[in-house]
Amino acid sequence: MVKKKIAKILAFRYKILALIFIILAGGLVLLPKHQKYEGIKPEELLSKVISPERYISTDKLADKLINKDPSYLLIDIRDEESYTKYTLPNAFNVPLAKLLDEDSEMYLDQDSYNVVLFSNDSFYADQAWILCTRLGYKNIHVLKGGINQWFKTIINPQKPIENMPAKEFELYTFRKAASMHFGVAYPEQFKGTTVIKKEPTIKKSTKKVITVKKKKKAPAEGGC
Amino acid sequence: MKELEKTKRISIASTLFILIIIMALLAYKRPKYLFKVNTANTLEKLINKDYIVSLNDIYNPDYVLIDIRDQFEFGKAHLENSINISSPAILDEANIAIFDKLKSDNKTVIMYGNNPNEVTAPFMFLYQLGYDNIKILSTENSYFQNNLQSKRVEIEKSENDVNAFIAESIKKANNGLKQKVVIKKPAKTVLKFEKKKKAAAEGGC
Repeated sequence: MVKKKIAKILAFRYKILALIFIILAGGLVLLPKHQKYEGIKPEELLSKVISPERYISTDKLADKLINKDPSYLLIDIRDEESYTKYTLPNAFNVPLAKLLDEDSEMYLDQDSYNVVLFSNDSFYADQAWILCTRLGYKNIHVLKGGINQWFKTIINPQKPIENMPAKEFELYTFRKAASMHFGVAYPEQFKGTTVIKKEPTIKKSTKKVITVKKKKKAPAEGGC
Repeated sequence: MKELEKTKRISIASTLFILIIIMALLAYKRPKYLFKVNTANTLEKLINKDYIVSLNDIYNPDYVLIDIRDQFEFGKAHLENSINISSPAILDEANIAIFDKLKSDNKTVIMYGNNPNEVTAPFMFLYQLGYDNIKILSTENSYFQNNLQSKRVEIEKSENDVNAFIAESIKKANNGLKQKVVIKKPAKTVLKFEKKKKAAAEGGC
């Protein structure tokens, strides 16, 4: 009796298989809604956020800018007013509010440049960095200390006290030269130019003397 | 009733296929932590800036203070009644349990570190995981005689007017330039007189 029943069911086996396939297809369509989340996983984001490798120091950035390193792209996260008032050379302005706009994506989501985000301090730049990293953008850095640190170290470097190691003095020399590169003028710079101006005026007076001498010799020969 | 050879393969193949899919479904693990807020909404929250709390407002029974520095710094000195959860350990099960409980109790969590920059990362991270009851304390810490001194600090304040500084430096340097030009002029006139006298003596023979 059992054999007959099984035989009956097996007759419909293709219909049963087709039914199971349709159910599975419906299930697969519904599943992805649970899996999708934007960007990278939380564990990965946490480890990236904790690590300080995203920071670039003001000295290093000044070095790159002076050597005109073409791979660095500077982005100012502050509002337009602060950007027009003062910003780092060749920096673009992407206010924090517009960070996720489509226009800004072309600056941020690319592999060719090293993007450096900066603001007055590291706070907003860090926030922008966290959002960009979650979306998976690569090669993004943060200027440690922002414009405030830039001022303290590059524009207005502190002269080291006498009992500091020689390294500090080297660093100070570098920073002073960098500040001159970025527009700061020192009184000692102009000492050199006034010395050069002295020499041309002396040369002019010696030239005049030579012409006067030659005129007087000619009449003396006629008298003998 | 007897089945042809070829169609028997179809039924075997399709039953195997269904079995594989069922096994995959059963083995699928739901990820442990999921971001609940997307980046656009997080950005909106950041712009509102209402997540920053100053030192005066922390004495409130609904507020819970959390110190995100490491154990050593916490041991040196910390604010009263604060719990220590260091940033790398945020995703530990015990700590997530604490956050879950605080959220369900409707308590506001106030996080602080040595300065606001240290706190912004864990704050944003937790916000994106769905804990929207967290705020940042805007203070800067320093140690004085083994006590913690917390000073209120303004976030992202522009401390220096760089353009004014550069313009002033140029002005100072130019002032130095003018003084030196005046000193050098009298020296030039002395040279010319001496050479004219020598030429007149040769005419006599």
